[in-house]
Amino acid sequence: MEPAVQVENLVKRFGSFTAVDGVSFSVERGEIFGILGPNGAGKTTTLETIEGLHKPTGGKVSVLDLEVQSNATKVKALIGVQLQASAYYSYLNLKEILALLGSFYPHKASPELLLDQVGLADKSKNRVSELSGGQQQRFAVAASLVNNPEVVILDEPTTGLDPQARRNLWSLIREVNQSGVTVLLTTHYMEEAEAICDRLAIMDHGKLLALDTPRNLINGLEASYTVKVTMDKPMTKAQLNSLNGGVEIIHSGERYGDGGSENTYLLRLANSPSALKSMLDQISQAGLGLENLQVTPVTLEDVFLELTGSELRD
Amino acid sequence: MMARNRQAIFWALFFPLMLVVVFGLFNFNGVGVADVVVVDESGGPKAELFRGQLEEIEFLELEFDELSLELAREMVADGDLGYLIIIPNHFDGPAGQIQFDGPEPIELVYSSRSPDRNQLVDGAVRNLVSEIHSAGAPVIPSRLLVAEVIQVPEVDYFDTVLFGLLGLGIMTNSIISIAVRISTFRNQAILKRLLVTPLSIWKFFAAEITAHVLLALVQAGIILAVGVFVFGGKVHGNLLWVFCITALGSVVFLNIGFILSAWAKSPAAASGMGNVVAFPMMFLAGTFFSTAALPWILPQLSLALPLTPMLGALRDVAINSEPIWDIWPHLAALGGWAVATGVVAVKVFKFG
Repeated sequence: MEPAVQVENLVKRFGSFTAVDGVSFSVERGEIFGILGPNGAGKTTTLETIEGLHKPTGGKVSVLDLEVQSNATKVKALIGVQLQASAYYSYLNLKEILALLGSFYPHKASPELLLDQVGLADKSKNRVSELSGGQQQRFAVAASLVNNPEVVILDEPTTGLDPQARRNLWSLIREVNQSGVTVLLTTHYMEEAEAICDRLAIMDHGKLLALDTPRNLINGLEASYTVKVTMDKPMTKAQLNSLNGGVEIIHSGERYGDGGSENTYLLRLANSPSALKSMLDQISQAGLGLENLQVTPVTLEDVFLELTGSELRD
Repeated sequence: MMARNRQAIFWALFFPLMLVVVFGLFNFNGVGVADVVVVDESGGPKAELFRGQLEEIEFLELEFDELSLELAREMVADGDLGYLIIIPNHFDGPAGQIQFDGPEPIELVYSSRSPDRNQLVDGAVRNLVSEIHSAGAPVIPSRLLVAEVIQVPEVDYFDTVLFGLLGLGIMTNSIISIAVRISTFRNQAILKRLLVTPLSIWKFFAAEITAHVLLALVQAGIILAVGVFVFGGKVHGNLLWVFCITALGSVVFLNIGFILSAWAKSPAAASGMGNVVAFPMMFLAGTFFSTAALPWILPQLSLALPLTPMLGALRDVAINSEPIWDIWPHLAALGGWAVATGVVAVKVFKFG
């Protein structure tokens, strides 16, 4: 079966600015595919090209085996879209907006069922402005489903939501996916990408840096644990370097400011219990005092740091 | 923060300034001018003297035309010409003395439209004739001038203004409401949201235009109902045509609103731009005052505005009871505007 979305060597320039620079990936049917990257990475431009809003400068984009540029109307009828920042008619209530949007499509879902699906059945007579942030995002997802689409494209569906509302939306997205809809979404939240995406593309500066399942991306890193140590006094470069072979220094004290003192160091450790023990031995042999120690499994955050050499820009 | 919305500030300041200029341009103290065509059938020395002195009267705008009398009379009846003065063949010849027991009288033709001005012109011309003849044989003043008054349906200033207001209401509402609405839709990415659906662009335009034209028709109905039933205005012509003209005019102004919305960066700027386009037009197209009171080339410029043919068509149909096919120049001008603005609107319109 052909993939739900196929992007081949996509290039999109706006004047002299290259927003997307030779990106290729394909989204298989039935999966939740995420594009992770900081603001300005080219995620939204990539999505909007797939949605037919931009003409590619180079490369090819197809949805359900239809080339988007030459089949824009057909493609639009088959996909559901939630834009990053989009309002809805302010004088219509939720049910009316869904009915209006549905009327633009050959196949439409019942507004009541959609509102029920996203947990807004009791708000059907309300206006969008009367909803909370989380409810508005859930409504946006409902609005992207008005045409019973085969593929939904969600652009940063959880940005700006509190953790609880975000988790709420994750389960909604999973439910939508389990009903047979292919989901393509962007996010700049690591834990979101890790939690809901079957496969993940990491983008920065218009380029695709990695593409795999979140687990494989993490396993791909040589280290498997991140260790945060806080010492009673600063370590010298030599002392840091002496902390055995399995240790990779990600942040020295000067750079690692937040959440710790000047003497906090972020270190990456190979996946073996002996590596941790040998590191601790080194510390005690050097006569350093250990004030705090945190050991956490490697996350996508670390994968991202490895790939881009920088933290996720906000 | 407000100071940084430069576009909105500019239009907010520009607009009152423009009003001052527009009002300053009108010469409200004058009576306006009366356009007069003089047909000289005599060509004699007294006729020449009479014509010379007529020209000295400030508020008469003379034209010595080769019009046929029949056409000139028709123009007076239609309101296209204020006054027709016919200097008769025997104005100063002896034959006249015999035939009419005095000089053959001047003929002054006017319509019953503006009684005040009629009195003024009638008096002025009568005095002049009497002066010219009193140098010769004794004359009987009442026989010096024959006034022919063409009766037209009674029109008072209110009726004229009522249709001015109708045009004004349709114009401002159509331009400003669509410009602000579309600008708001664009700012909130509602247009973009529509663009990711299979809805075709022309359907979106057609829906917006249809809704606003219907609104314009309701608006026209309310303005006319209040004007007629509350303030005693009169509509002589066919109401169906009034609504047809209203709809066509509304399309023109909606197109202009679409064009402005393409340039406006915010709804506030769109509103300011709409006012700047609508208000000068309201005065320059003769909504309240005759454009004849405007100086310089402004009366000619007024012909180049879309509101002018709309008001012309409305007044010709509703006040002068002209059949719709007789006002085709107005309709052609309005139709031309509708097509031209429509083409520009589609060209400049932006969704994102």
